[in-house]
Amino acid sequence: MALSTLAHRALERAGLAAIRDKVLSNERLTDADALRLLESSDLAALGALASHVREARHGDLAFYNKNVHLNFTNVCVASCKFCSFARPDDRAASEGYTMTVEQAVEHVLSKRDQGITEVHIVNGLHPDLPWDFYLEVPRRIRAAWPELQIKAYTAVEIHFFARLFGMSHAQVLTELRAAGVDTIPGGGAEIFAPRVRRKMCDDKADAEEWLEVHRVAHRLGMKSNATMLYGTVETLAERVDHMARLRQLQDETGGFQVFIPLAFHPEHNMMGKAFPRPTGFDGLRTYAAARLYLDNFDHVKAYWVMLGERLAQTALSFGVDDLDGTVLEERIYHMAGARTPQALSEGQLHRLIRAAGRVPAERDSLYRVLRVHSVDTARGR
Amino acid sequence: MPRIRAAAVSFLNARPLTAALLDSARIELLLVEPSTCAAMLERGEVEAALLPVAALAGQDYELVPGVAIGSDGPVSTVILAGEQSPVVWDEVYLDTASRTSQVLARMALAARGIHPKFTQMPAADGLAQARGTKGALVIGDRAFEVQANHVLDLGREWTQSSGLPMVFAAWAARPGALRPEDVAEILRAAREGLGRRTELAQAFARERGGDPERYRRYLAQRIRYGLGSHELRGLETFLSRAAEQGLLPPTKLRFADDRVRSSRIRRRAALDVALQKGADGERLDADEAELLDEEAPLLELGLAADARRRALHPDGVVTYIVSRNVNYTNVCTTACHFCAFYRPRGHAEAYVLTRQELARKIEETLALGGIEILLQGGLHPDLRLDWYEDLFRWVKATYPGINLHALSPDEIWHIARLSEIPLEAVLDRLVAAGLDSIPGGGAEILDDEVRRRIAPLKSSSDEWLAVMRAAHRRGLRSTATLMFGVGEESRHRATHLLRLRELQDETGGFTAFICWTFQPDNTRLEPGDNTAHAYLRVNALSRLVLDNVQNLQTSWVTMGGGVAQAALHMGCNDFGQVMIEENVVSAAGTTFRMDAEELERHIREAGFTPSRRNMQYERLSSGSEH
Repeated sequence: MALSTLAHRALERAGLAAIRDKVLSNERLTDADALRLLESSDLAALGALASHVREARHGDLAFYNKNVHLNFTNVCVASCKFCSFARPDDRAASEGYTMTVEQAVEHVLSKRDQGITEVHIVNGLHPDLPWDFYLEVPRRIRAAWPELQIKAYTAVEIHFFARLFGMSHAQVLTELRAAGVDTIPGGGAEIFAPRVRRKMCDDKADAEEWLEVHRVAHRLGMKSNATMLYGTVETLAERVDHMARLRQLQDETGGFQVFIPLAFHPEHNMMGKAFPRPTGFDGLRTYAAARLYLDNFDHVKAYWVMLGERLAQTALSFGVDDLDGTVLEERIYHMAGARTPQALSEGQLHRLIRAAGRVPAERDSLYRVLRVHSVDTARGR
Repeated sequence: MPRIRAAAVSFLNARPLTAALLDSARIELLLVEPSTCAAMLERGEVEAALLPVAALAGQDYELVPGVAIGSDGPVSTVILAGEQSPVVWDEVYLDTASRTSQVLARMALAARGIHPKFTQMPAADGLAQARGTKGALVIGDRAFEVQANHVLDLGREWTQSSGLPMVFAAWAARPGALRPEDVAEILRAAREGLGRRTELAQAFARERGGDPERYRRYLAQRIRYGLGSHELRGLETFLSRAAEQGLLPPTKLRFADDRVRSSRIRRRAALDVALQKGADGERLDADEAELLDEEAPLLELGLAADARRRALHPDGVVTYIVSRNVNYTNVCTTACHFCAFYRPRGHAEAYVLTRQELARKIEETLALGGIEILLQGGLHPDLRLDWYEDLFRWVKATYPGINLHALSPDEIWHIARLSEIPLEAVLDRLVAAGLDSIPGGGAEILDDEVRRRIAPLKSSSDEWLAVMRAAHRRGLRSTATLMFGVGEESRHRATHLLRLRELQDETGGFTAFICWTFQPDNTRLEPGDNTAHAYLRVNALSRLVLDNVQNLQTSWVTMGGGVAQAALHMGCNDFGQVMIEENVVSAAGTTFRMDAEELERHIREAGFTPSRRNMQYERLSSGSEH
């Protein structure tokens, strides 16, 4: 839909006319433009421009999938200061846990009759599990449930495996792929800037390593996702730098499917006292800026587990086209104080999407549309 | 001019739609059985019919938009009845008169895991034989007289399983048969008939006996006559579930007005005009308000409301107040369906606050920099005017600086009735005792069609407004509120806003307006669209319609800080209250909390400058300085 007169006036008043002109002529935004967007407080104008781009790409469709999370261990040798999930060891006293291969596989297979199409596997960096463990879990899931798509192990974990087991990134990824892993989740990116990583997470994969894992995965023909953890020590310029590196790699490989900004959650971790939870406004503005700047990313996702249903629904008017999924058994954000429900039913997701004037479209791990739940008679608004 | 022929049933619930067609110059009405309606339309003996929705299946009929016969929850006249519980039924007799009800009955029983044998049988025989393990489907006016041990209301069953309204019948026409003027005539008749429901109920009671009041309540509260997007979703879901279960062929709904493209384009132009008028601060009429409510996209409403907010409050300051909600009692006789807070008198959790407890709360409030207490409570059957006078005098004598923002209109009416003192005198005495201003709660939706359904024992719209009028005339200021998302329609919300605007023109006594959505946990009412998106739309619409109300508050307590920040960019200029205590909303499951620092952080991050204020919206110096 063309931008309305009201939107044009608001963008001009907000000093965003030059950026608007670039967007309307499909010209790439500069890093300075992105910073300008992230500094703007004209939320409704930003939303109108981001919605324009989002609607040009996807019309009224809003995507979601039906997925289950598997976090088979929370034991982690890294010491990321924003994390509420990791534990130092397996002892009950430290609340650490590690499932057996059988337990991990059963956790997934027990959801078999729930229409799920994807398992999302992310874990701590466990010092002692053997390489075969990481292969055996996807292998057995694939054998027992061949249609289920497996999205497994962040770039940080993959880099950790390469180091620990003395393999190249390509070897690790090739073996994982042979074991059934389809796509790589986008976690562990945090903020790429070395200054920020030194303060928050100086003992895991750095920016180059994270990007290299994704580059190799893309070259091997795997698709992956990309995240950004915002709302801690980073500056707005460092957010732009993060998105710039992603946009650059995407120009090179085209392997990223979706960009997922994640808000820092402050409870039960070392940074919570110093940094309050970023406000919803920050999130909405970040989504809009990302949608406008990341012109080579197909999708921008609002992870409802993190935002809550109300803000996630609102984000559908600020450039977001994906709400993640039904998310059975989420642990990581809930341990950081997320007060959202443990799972949303497909009906609840539909209700949120429809009430926002969008049309729910179930997708798979690879963003192929499985079913569009259109209601022709519902009036769009 | 050739008249078109239309068929309809003579059931009570159809009369509001058909009564005013009996003398229509455009439409010739034939009254028949439901199944005959469908057959006549199919054979082309009539051009249009008030059709049970199952008869739409597999046909290419065009629906008349806007009106239908439906329910949102119990309907009373589509029921399964039997001597024993449905779980033991092994055979159910299906009333042959309506396929829609048959489909609904099969779906409702299947949803409960009950799979009896179904036998077609006329309703009178079926009901007579519904003994032991047999049940019977009974529809229409006959259902009023059913005295059975076990009754399943199929309207209720549907809404519980789908979360949506049920549409039982709608006006349908053969493709191309209705001209825009015919559609307009059907809608005119509906408007007229809906206004005559009391009279129609009385006429029906004279015809067949029974209690006219019961029939009136049925027409006014049970049956819903709107066909908006919410009802359409209900209809669409019913038809698609029935198709999935092989009970009906698949159907795609079409509307008679889909052919009238030019009117759509006119509507789009009208939408742009209304948005621009709103943004420029020009007065919107009822049609424009309704049009914006129905069709304007969120960001368009938001941009227009933001333009209006900038014109009214150009300095980018967002105010808030530090005050405390004190609920002096939770005992209430009103039993509103949306309320999770009240307890009956004598209940183990019932309370009336003591002076000591109140003193502690006020002192805590003052210690936290608070300047106001918002004193509200249930409608307690024993507390008379002198109790409130004593309380207010004591508060003002003990804490002279505090603003006493107290008693919603329902409480004031209740006190007046209980004390048998006229409203005006009650207000005079409360003001003399120390009342400073009154909160705008309990307005809910100022349209009695909705009010009677959601809060049958509460004050009427006129009564609510009468208290505000009388209070404003005495120099008291008040806020105004809207609680929506209770399954109401656009026209109800538009009516609400226009009635507030009308009174504001008269008195100028409203300081601010606040809207929020119905919070359904622990209550008995099924929500309509109560999502954040709906909140932001209605909030922005309110900024545009209420051109004479200076301030709009966010409802961060129900929506959370992030959505409230978005509301600041779509019409609001006030963040609301740092709430030291809020019992009513948290009882319904909403638990957002913020202190003054956190609230100011939200205001600043959203690009505004925070400032504390008092109830009169005068800015206080302390807020933005630390």
